[in-house]
Amino acid sequence: MGSEPIERRVSYIGDRLKGSRCPFCGREYFRPKKYCGNCGRKSLGKMEDIDFFYEKGVLETCTIVREPTNRFRRLGAYFYGVISFHNGKVRVPGRLTDMIIKDDELIDPSDFEGREVVPRFRRRYSVDKSDIIPMISLAFTFADEYYPYQQYEIIKPNKEYDAPGIVGYGVYISKFRIREGKMERSVPFIDEDAITAAVESGKLALIHSGVDHRLIGKIYVGSESNPYAVNPIASKVAQVLKLGEEEKTEGVQSVDAVDTEFACKAATSMFKDAMALVYYPKDSIEYAMVIGADNAQAAPRGEPGGELDFFVGFGGAAFIFGMKDVIAEIEGWYSCTSDTPDFWRRDLEPYPRHGGRFTGRPAYFKHILKAGRKLMEKMNLKPNDIDYFVCHQPNPTFPVRAAAALGFKPEQYMPGLQVSRFGNTYSGSSPIGLAAILDQAEPYKRIMIVSYGSGAGSDAYLFITTNQIKDKRKRQKFTVKYQVENKFINYVDYATYRRFKEGL
Amino acid sequence: MGESPAIIGIGRTKFGEHYELDPEDLIDEAGLMALDAAGIERRDLDACYISDYLLQVTNKIGLEEGFMSQLLEMNIPIEKMRSFSSALSNACNAIEAGKYDVVLVGGMEKMTDRWSKIRDNLMLLVDHWSYYAGGTPETSHELLLREYIKTYDIRGEDQHKLMTTLAYISVKNHRNALKNEYAHFRREIDINRVFAARKNRVLGLYDFAPISDGATALILASPKKAKEYTDNLIYVLASSLATDFISYPSRSYRTGFIANKIAMENALKMANISLDDIKLLEVYDQSTVLEMISLEDLGFIKKGAAWKKLYENFKDYKGFYEIDGRQLYVNTDGGLKADGNPLGATGGAQIFEIVKQLRGEAGQRQIDPDGDLIYGCMQEIEGFGTKVYVHILGREKSGK
Repeated sequence: MGSEPIERRVSYIGDRLKGSRCPFCGREYFRPKKYCGNCGRKSLGKMEDIDFFYEKGVLETCTIVREPTNRFRRLGAYFYGVISFHNGKVRVPGRLTDMIIKDDELIDPSDFEGREVVPRFRRRYSVDKSDIIPMISLAFTFADEYYPYQQYEIIKPNKEYDAPGIVGYGVYISKFRIREGKMERSVPFIDEDAITAAVESGKLALIHSGVDHRLIGKIYVGSESNPYAVNPIASKVAQVLKLGEEEKTEGVQSVDAVDTEFACKAATSMFKDAMALVYYPKDSIEYAMVIGADNAQAAPRGEPGGELDFFVGFGGAAFIFGMKDVIAEIEGWYSCTSDTPDFWRRDLEPYPRHGGRFTGRPAYFKHILKAGRKLMEKMNLKPNDIDYFVCHQPNPTFPVRAAAALGFKPEQYMPGLQVSRFGNTYSGSSPIGLAAILDQAEPYKRIMIVSYGSGAGSDAYLFITTNQIKDKRKRQKFTVKYQVENKFINYVDYATYRRFKEGL
Repeated sequence: MGESPAIIGIGRTKFGEHYELDPEDLIDEAGLMALDAAGIERRDLDACYISDYLLQVTNKIGLEEGFMSQLLEMNIPIEKMRSFSSALSNACNAIEAGKYDVVLVGGMEKMTDRWSKIRDNLMLLVDHWSYYAGGTPETSHELLLREYIKTYDIRGEDQHKLMTTLAYISVKNHRNALKNEYAHFRREIDINRVFAARKNRVLGLYDFAPISDGATALILASPKKAKEYTDNLIYVLASSLATDFISYPSRSYRTGFIANKIAMENALKMANISLDDIKLLEVYDQSTVLEMISLEDLGFIKKGAAWKKLYENFKDYKGFYEIDGRQLYVNTDGGLKADGNPLGATGGAQIFEIVKQLRGEAGQRQIDPDGDLIYGCMQEIEGFGTKVYVHILGREKSGK
């Protein structure tokens, strides 16, 4: 049994790796301290807040843990060591994550010592199913491998737009994949889940946009695989990424945070809400963040709902909306909804069920085609007027057929088609496709995104890129393409994939 | 220190797996042996200082003072500490202050009662943030070794020699325990076994002390009172303690424990003797690394040189380390590695060995270093270098 007050205190510091710096002598601490050991009384109350969440450290010494303590057992063998930050001003313990170490593998710690590492937000260890899930950022990966080090630099915006739009975005896909036939799908490491993917993608969106995290007034997280039935992912994201002004004495963020749920359109549905908030004439907010993240669930093959197991992926995409330094302005939107039960998951059930062929024409296609056609009609546009098209991608064939039915050609829909690389990332599916397009689109290109959520409904949006899209691109190392073509991708077998998906 | 208190009797149980005994049974056995050795009755006791680290966790026993009172059927002051050295240190303070004349110091631990969860619980001794990050009781020792290897740039053949030295330390301690009837492990091992257990990891099973059940006890008396019972007194000449940060990574000195150095320096000053006077040393070898590191930190060997010096010694091991022409007997009882490590009782076993050796009652284990054996020194650690106690015992009342 965990203790909730202890959990709050540990995660408040450990999720973000918070510390203090003495303004007089520069001494640094991991874990905030009210005064400096060198400078004593004069430093009392004057210590500066620092954190190591966006920093890179050095793995100074390490060893291999082959017999973890009980709560870490499901991790298998892992590396554990001392990580230093700021040239040794601060040292913390940490484990390396995203590594599969074989039982008979001979290891020389000196092969790893001295290498640069970046902190990752992960599950801390196993707990009972009914307990609070403990998280921590004392999990690290090598800075020159799959997940690169990227500096978060707050940039003062210099241009205000007439219409709201996307200011920045980030996509987080895990390093692990399963390959079956021509299809590759992303697999979480065992310490990942929808919460970690949401935080990591949000972090990447902040890095890409250069937006001051304190100016984000609302955060929406859409997911259908929140490991909690009650307890929002959005509050975790807000706390870890310090969204909104921080009320330091209480450790409270001045931000509105909420989780949304509508199968795979939980995130896209909120795009318009986010844009409405930043455009709102009275007491508007500067920025709003929308994240779609899922550890897409599927029953094992052979069981009811097991057909989904061939297609599910893992990952998240985060978008920041605002009026300043916009990279893609909104042109219009259209949504439609009907009560169509094609895919559902009852409370307390671990895996969703699926309506078989019923999920096709009367569900997916009906809503996507309706939303796509209506929006083009409303905006008086033809497929030829649109440069890129992306829609929800539950499998490799549906999105191609939908795009063709709407009149789009492969050069319009292929850039956004990522399902055969990552699988169906549920709430993250069409947003990741949108991000893949934004990664490569030139200025003044028109993009149409049509999501689909079972239950059922679709959201269609039209964006037009601005010339600032190119300026910001250099701040995005972790592009969709980078994650697809990365040489550090680790392919796992079916049993490992199932085990990793179940989590710690 | 004021006038040194004296140990007039000492007792212990066998260390190992005592599945049939409760912690009360263990401390009862050790306590009775100590009372018997001192030739006193329960009712002669003025107070009692006991120690255990984990009984609250392992056996769900709190308020140990209560069951001690019930065992003794007395209402004297009883206090519980976390380590035997802590209990002894506090008992010394009380006697020196003139508060009590005869005190029982005892320690007990029942670790095998919680076999499946003990390593998680032992992380309480290390650091909860290290635990959150995935650390185990063993990783701290391994990281210290890595830091040592990096700092002194020990590579290739030299590194193999270092690892061989560590293996020999384990072999040596196992061999010493053959003659110790109370030891947890009384079987000889060879370095191949130590190496085999390391397999694909940094250190292996034979580099670490076991978890044990056991109890130890001694009777401490003011020098005046002590002489009423016996002439064969062993004085506690120094009792020093130094502390360090709970988090090992946060410490600036990481190739050893700074608390080792400080505690030893202070102890030598208190006892008014020099390092050369110490020929018998009981170090807290929770791992083979800690025996080697402690010899450096305590000042017997220069920093960074112990692996080499000990390697030379083990080529032709004579039962003691020969360091710069001087003899140093280390862990003659088998150390924590082979004698066992029931946390709260462990320090008592170290004291037991020194008392027995100084009194010439160590039987087969009796050492006879060149010159007289007058002093013995023990180091006990709580946590991973977080607290270091050094006690110096002597047959003579004070140093030169």
